[in-house]
Amino acid sequence: MKKQTILALGFVSLFLLASADPAMAYVLLSPRRRWASTPVTVRVYNVGNSTITDGDGGVTAVVGAIRAWGIISSSTTSSAAVRGSAPATIMLNTNGGVCTGNCLAATLTGYYTSQAGDDRIYDADVYTNTSQPLYSSRESGCSGEYDINSIMTHEVGHVIGIGHSNVSGATMYPSISACNTAPRSLASDDIAARDDLY
Amino acid sequence: MHRRTLLSLSLLLLVVALPVSASQFVQLTFDQVARESTFIVRGSVEQTWTAWDDAHEVIFTYATVRVSRYFGEATGPDTLLVREVGGTVGDYTQEAIGFPMIRRGEDVVLFLSQWENSTDYRIHAFNQGKFLVRSRDGQELLVEDPVKQGDGRLTNPDKGHARENSEWNDAMTIGEFAQMVDAARAGERVDRNDRSRN
Repeated sequence: MKKQTILALGFVSLFLLASADPAMAYVLLSPRRRWASTPVTVRVYNVGNSTITDGDGGVTAVVGAIRAWGIISSSTTSSAAVRGSAPATIMLNTNGGVCTGNCLAATLTGYYTSQAGDDRIYDADVYTNTSQPLYSSRESGCSGEYDINSIMTHEVGHVIGIGHSNVSGATMYPSISACNTAPRSLASDDIAARDDLY
Repeated sequence: MHRRTLLSLSLLLLVVALPVSASQFVQLTFDQVARESTFIVRGSVEQTWTAWDDAHEVIFTYATVRVSRYFGEATGPDTLLVREVGGTVGDYTQEAIGFPMIRRGEDVVLFLSQWENSTDYRIHAFNQGKFLVRSRDGQELLVEDPVKQGDGRLTNPDKGHARENSEWNDAMTIGEFAQMVDAARAGERVDRNDRSRN
């Protein structure tokens, strides 16, 4: 092997080592907070999103998708979210007046500052921008839409108290691109975050 | 391996290693944000307060922003009332995870648009619409606010400062910013990546 090649390979190795983020780990919401007990009940409002053409506007897909966390009891509900009151409710049919413009989905979480120990989460509701193109796992193909299964699995991470991770490939990584379905499945980093809290 | 190949490999690695920054928000180009905003201002956040909305569903943080400069052609009053989702009333905190925060005493540059059916303003395009003004080496620079809702509003009130070198990577001078706004408002396509770096 030529001397220059060896030098180049050495340089590449050093660069990769130097660019590795030493703080690659999950982040919990701060101040730390959690629901009082598991399973955490999450309801999906049974009026779906009109841009999702899977038969029920993504409702069934989301009920199933968010169970990926393993500590979620999910079902549909005919009651819309009431902010500040449990249970956690996912609204696919409204932006809640907060998730507009370039927002895809937003989680509003509420907690009381406790005197001791973790702050308790009392409510968390998720709202969806109905102006953005979305699709679900119950549809075939994707042409520039955002995957509602992935989006809601990520948002439910916030619901249970997890922040954004800097681990690329984690469900809680803050970036999602169109047609990306990888966040449907939890990465080891997401599982570590969940297990830290519950 | 030729020196030119080595150089190309190094540049490729640098490009690959650049951090990707996005969210559960669709990333807009700079010119989109600039064109869609009603006002683009530099100012200081003077007073802040929080209150439930009339329906007692959402806590909003209100802030008066004393404007020292309007960018672009649109100008307005000396003081603007900005309202953002999230805040604490009593011992109850409501947060929109990942949304921008507004804190008393901040020196900021904001893209603003009006809330629907209200005269209050909101930060346009969420985190893309807020910059902190920081001084470094005698120069005023604009940096993205590293602290979002859910990052520790209560426990770390000083986290809003650009603390690490990585947070200065995308810093721009106020002069650069003003030129970009003027170009965007004139109809040109402007992306932050197009400008020269400091």
